[in-house]
Amino acid sequence: MENPAIITIDKLIKRFPVGNGEFTALNNINLQFKKGEFTGLVGPSGSGKTTLLNIIGSLDTPTEGIVTVLDHSIAKLTHKQSAQLRNKHLGFIFQTYNLFPVYTVYENVEFALLLQHMPAAERRKAVLDALEWVGLTDKINSKPPQLSGGEGQRVAIARAMVKRPAIMLADEPTANLDSKNSHHILQTMKRLNEELQTTFIFATHDEKVMGYLNRIISLEDGKVVKDEQVVPAKN
Amino acid sequence: MIQFLFKGIIRDKNRSVLPILVISLGVFLTVLGSAWFKGVFSDMINTNANFTAGHVRVMTRAYAENVDQTPNDLALVEVDQLINDLDNQFPDFEWVKRTHFGGLLDVPNEEGETRAQGMAIGQGIDFFSPGTHEPERMNIPSSIVEGKLPGQPGEALISDDFAKRFKVNIGDPITLFGSTMYGGMAFTNFTVCGTVRFGMRALDRGAILIDISDAQIALDMADAAGEVLGFQKSGNYDEERALQVKDAFNAQYAADSDEFAPVMQRLNDQAFLGYYLDLAKYMSSIVIFIFVLAMSIVLWNTGLLGGLRRYNEFGMRLAMGEEKRHIYGSLITESIIIGTIGSVVGTIFGLAAGYYLQQHGIDMGSAMQGGGMMLPTVFKARIGPEAFYIGFIPGLISMVLGNALAGIAIYRRQTAVLTKELSV
Repeated sequence: MENPAIITIDKLIKRFPVGNGEFTALNNINLQFKKGEFTGLVGPSGSGKTTLLNIIGSLDTPTEGIVTVLDHSIAKLTHKQSAQLRNKHLGFIFQTYNLFPVYTVYENVEFALLLQHMPAAERRKAVLDALEWVGLTDKINSKPPQLSGGEGQRVAIARAMVKRPAIMLADEPTANLDSKNSHHILQTMKRLNEELQTTFIFATHDEKVMGYLNRIISLEDGKVVKDEQVVPAKN
Repeated sequence: MIQFLFKGIIRDKNRSVLPILVISLGVFLTVLGSAWFKGVFSDMINTNANFTAGHVRVMTRAYAENVDQTPNDLALVEVDQLINDLDNQFPDFEWVKRTHFGGLLDVPNEEGETRAQGMAIGQGIDFFSPGTHEPERMNIPSSIVEGKLPGQPGEALISDDFAKRFKVNIGDPITLFGSTMYGGMAFTNFTVCGTVRFGMRALDRGAILIDISDAQIALDMADAAGEVLGFQKSGNYDEERALQVKDAFNAQYAADSDEFAPVMQRLNDQAFLGYYLDLAKYMSSIVIFIFVLAMSIVLWNTGLLGGLRRYNEFGMRLAMGEEKRHIYGSLITESIIIGTIGSVVGTIFGLAAGYYLQQHGIDMGSAMQGGGMMLPTVFKARIGPEAFYIGFIPGLISMVLGNALAGIAIYRRQTAVLTKELSV
């Protein structure tokens, strides 16, 4: 059975105003992503990885071209519609975990479901399941300042996946972690990808991440210079 | 979600304790300041009302035109009947006779020859009627330095400064040289029963206080008085009621063209008191405006810093699919909650401090030495109904305004820019 594309990028151009001129961050990008991919956008700083991730995540809009995510054209979405898309279908993981410092681990993860108005009992089960997934059931009452870097990023993963999004967008998720924690995080995400068929798209230049990817898209100066399927070294 | 936001407010001291402290302090100062100004101006007005003008004052038209000269030849006659009528018509007022006069006080030696003389201003007030409030109204009992209040005809209180200057002792005779209501010379002997110091230079330089009946005899003013003063029985000046009474009274004599027909004026109609009354009215507004402005600046700054500190949180919430409008709404809701708590706390402490100052006041007698105006020496706050809600205006508005201004940045910034900051 054919696996249809859930993200389609057609002739995408993104320009930013700089002084009196413009800077082209993405130049004529054409890509497709299918359900269950574990893909990395790699390239040096300024190559356009984060910009592409932001547009896929409906945090930004194309200057030209069409980007369709789960049948939603990003350019045509209103603020409210793009918020709803992120709320229901997209999960974000950032380099600096961005947990809410005054809330407990449980409450940080729960917040994603509060936005979906999920009933309390259902919410509790989903939060505990997510924390079990990332191996943090013993930390539910801890607050972010009490966690290690690896634990903090695992909470961020639990918060992103608790709503079972179709697509997870991770921007340099291992940049602040040591090697051991990086592998732990990546293994967790790989397991999510395999068991829940969640599509992962990474923006990274971390060699450790590349070892887990099954597709690597190389960007340079806003252009795709290479797009290759690979056999993950850490499978 | 509301419960979630509440937890955040309670746990994040920078979002709760600090703003609540700032608002409480501002509201406390607003409530206390407003009660204080109201009390001070009320005291100033009441002092002048008690000593000279009453809440309303009845005079002849001719007397009113020359009121600064206290022309007793133009005084009211048949005042007992007039007071009886006023009592029946306006029972919420207490009506009293007053006669102001000027003269020369002569102090004799043992042989009865003039030892010293000095100018004096005098007042005839009701010392003797059962239940009279006049001595207390003029704060005489607590102003007595030596001796006692006049208890029988022929007794007089004189100012302590005058007594010391001319070495007059309690029990010494003095003679008042003045002019009668009909323009003749008046010589009347009195016995000094006490000395007083009001703390008001205008009165302390040389004053003589005698009973109104003695003044009537001395100045040949049988059943006459310079003025009839009306005081509201509530004790506080209600200018609306005073206006009603004045209009009703004057309407009765509108058709009478006699220059000796009575005319009523209220406190506001006195030249400089009207200015003070207006000042008292607007002073509270000015105080509140200043606090609103100052607190808006402080809380705008607090809100802006709090907002900047929470940019990561807002960015993450946006990334998780929360709408900008919802984040902005939650920020405003938080500010309403914090503003309300701060306003309640500040109002409670402001009222407590205001109540203390209402009971005890602050003695500013030393600062008032040498003043020519009739001013009280102890200033007290006055808590009115507005003190219970006035603090909420700056407390709530400033907080919400500060946060609303800071929160606009959420709308002005691109979502992607907010989120880029998440990767820093």
